[in-house]
Amino acid sequence: MLGMFNRLKKSIIETLIVVLIGFVGGAILMIIFGYDPIAAYMKLFKGSVLSIDGILESLANAVPLMLTGLTFAIGVRSGYFNVGAEGQAYMGAIGAVIIAGSISLPYGVHLAAATLFSMIVGALWSLPVSALKAWRGVHEVVSTIMLNWIALFLVRYLIEYYYYEPGRAERALPALPTARYSVIGASLSTIIFVTIGFTILIYFILWRTTLGYELRLTGSNPEAARYVGVNYVKVIFLNFFIGGLAAGLAGASQVIGRPPAWTIYKTLGNVINLGFNGIGVALIGRNHPLGIIFSSIFLGILLYGSRFMQYLGIDPDLTVAINGIIVLFLSLPELYSMVKRYIVGGK
Amino acid sequence: MLRAKNVLRKLISLFTVILHMRKIDGITRVGAIVVTIILIVAVVGGVLYWYMSVGPAAPRKVKIAVVSDIGGRGDLSFNDMAFKGGDEAEKDFGVEMVELVSKVEADYVPNLEIGAKDPDVKLIVGVGFLLSDALVEVAIKYPDKNFAGIDTYSQDIVKEKYPDKYPLPNLMDIKFEEHKGSALVGAVGCLLAAYYNEKGGKYPYIGGVFGIEIPVLWKFEIGYKWGCDWALKWYENKFGHKAPIIGEDSRYGTGPNWKEGMYCPPETPGQCWYKGRVLWTYTGTFSDITKGYEAAKPMYAKGAIAVYNIAGPLGLGINQAVKEIAEARGLKMGPPFWIGVDANQDWINPGFVVVSMMKRVDKGVYYATKLVLEGKFRDVVKQYNGVLTLGIGTQVMGTPMEGISASTLKDLDEFIQMGVEAEKLTGKKVLPMGPDEIKAKVKEMRDSVAPWIWEALAELEDKIRKGEVEVPLAFTKDAIDYWRNILG
Repeated sequence: MLGMFNRLKKSIIETLIVVLIGFVGGAILMIIFGYDPIAAYMKLFKGSVLSIDGILESLANAVPLMLTGLTFAIGVRSGYFNVGAEGQAYMGAIGAVIIAGSISLPYGVHLAAATLFSMIVGALWSLPVSALKAWRGVHEVVSTIMLNWIALFLVRYLIEYYYYEPGRAERALPALPTARYSVIGASLSTIIFVTIGFTILIYFILWRTTLGYELRLTGSNPEAARYVGVNYVKVIFLNFFIGGLAAGLAGASQVIGRPPAWTIYKTLGNVINLGFNGIGVALIGRNHPLGIIFSSIFLGILLYGSRFMQYLGIDPDLTVAINGIIVLFLSLPELYSMVKRYIVGGK
Repeated sequence: MLRAKNVLRKLISLFTVILHMRKIDGITRVGAIVVTIILIVAVVGGVLYWYMSVGPAAPRKVKIAVVSDIGGRGDLSFNDMAFKGGDEAEKDFGVEMVELVSKVEADYVPNLEIGAKDPDVKLIVGVGFLLSDALVEVAIKYPDKNFAGIDTYSQDIVKEKYPDKYPLPNLMDIKFEEHKGSALVGAVGCLLAAYYNEKGGKYPYIGGVFGIEIPVLWKFEIGYKWGCDWALKWYENKFGHKAPIIGEDSRYGTGPNWKEGMYCPPETPGQCWYKGRVLWTYTGTFSDITKGYEAAKPMYAKGAIAVYNIAGPLGLGINQAVKEIAEARGLKMGPPFWIGVDANQDWINPGFVVVSMMKRVDKGVYYATKLVLEGKFRDVVKQYNGVLTLGIGTQVMGTPMEGISASTLKDLDEFIQMGVEAEKLTGKKVLPMGPDEIKAKVKEMRDSVAPWIWEALAELEDKIRKGEVEVPLAFTKDAIDYWRNILG
């Protein structure tokens, strides 16, 4: 118990230090380009943390990132580098459109059906990855990235030819009112409770069940896991499948859980990058579900707040770079320990 | 700058302190954490306090906020033109424009909202129909601010979703009379065919490549076809004979209602039409450039002298088809041509883009700002049920506000300048050749065709402005069916 407390303390100190370095890094970038970093950061936090709308918007941004962060974290905990959340989120989003937009069901049932179906579609999209990994040894980075592209074009095709909104061809059918999470305020809906609940559930699965123990054991020491009889095929399938459930829900959250569009655009502009941003979230959150709750909110604040830096006249592309630097520094400790583990494990 | 440096120095020393603390044993570490947190809170709090106490006291300018869609800056058409309108408003009215580029669709609402929250901002402009829903939500939330949308249909959404609030008094959809502009370029196209056929060419058609079949595009389609019909009748009137091939040929149809290559349907007794002169394809996409190429290629093969781009980026596909023909035949100049849309696209492939149907998004932003500054914005919203339509000869409360025109040599400069700026912004090569070369080539092309083509264009524009002719507006299924029966 004391050891855990010490580790927690250590990671808190580390986090504080890298937060500082990250912000200093962003500040240096701004100074180089002739902007006032203090004013920019002030504006960023004043806009996103010191107003009710700002908090709601930041939380709304955090919802999908929490889930895609989980996808990556479960992979790392089980020893796999799962970057498939991106494509699985697209699939989840179209899954949500199919149920929420094109089928009529009573309230409640409709919402639940859309939520579950999108999660399952996201998870099914992980099966080829697992199968290729388990039986053909194809590295998951290769297969997930390929499937991300397939998902992108498949979803665009489905919207273009089957699920477009008549008269508004730029987007898919919007979720019917019976399949929408109710709005709390600004862009935040009650889907955040489902999301946090799911995240805590994953925490329990990973740390309080035999299955979770097997996943984590495989992740930290595959040899030992095999020695004690853990079925590695099961581990592969389950870790990618659970990750797919999370990513599918992330995609769905943009359809049935975010006003005012309640649908995806054909460009997929409102789901694109959710998966990749999730990697940063997972790394900042130390690949721990509870850490991810906080890190996703942190990134949500940055993403929402960066428009205030734009408002000061900072080039929009530079605001992306500043956020990138902050996220990069924040990810470093976990990235370092992951690389260390990889090198030690590889010996 | 100096402030920033001082704070940097403070942060660095703080960081060093923390690093050293890590060497101290267990119990004092708790203390270290507490000290660190206190330090950070103190620094942040101090800076906050200091900043708030020395707020700027400069005189406040009226601001307008322009929120782009995800195309953003450097798209050379829609968004760039909107920002250009803001630049002009800055110059002419002394307002300050705040630019907000949306990176994803989820940015629309928050971007509109931070504009609305700034007390100095009097007008928030959303650029592009994708922002329609977001504008409605934000405009309802901030009833004291004025909102304008370019090409949006926000008030229709208000009508559907919040019928008791329709029309929202602080929200203006700015639309354009694309059917009139399309008629202008349709006329140019068919007269071009007539002119080159006189010189021995064989051009029985003009073409149109459309995007997804939505009612807005029907406006373009019928306007374009009607313009061709008007032009061929104009030719007949002026020269006393029908235009060679495109005016007289019997390939377009035969039967009881056909007379000398014209269609005289029972619906319009005593009136005949040049039916079937336009080859048209709906590609079903606004993004797949290859579809533009695939659609344009057979049109040119059938003898279309010019193909009108009504599908945004698909114009690049049409351009590709033209380039191939030009290379195969060693041409320096059309025919074949294509026709640009929205912006002045004549510079994209100088000598091969005969004219562009310009939709002056910049004027939309400019006029909206003007109305706000003159205090007339809400009156106009009230008078027109929230929709301001800019076109040819538009008058709003006694002030001319035009938004549609055929491209001219004169306005080519502005758009070349836009290309120059886009090159700076994106670091990519945008212009096909130097600005002067482009201008020379476009002028050469315009001079190479008969001057009466440009005269006819000016005449049609003038007649539309004076209301002497009425370009049909097809916006419903019934209307489009009716006009397709007549014009093909």
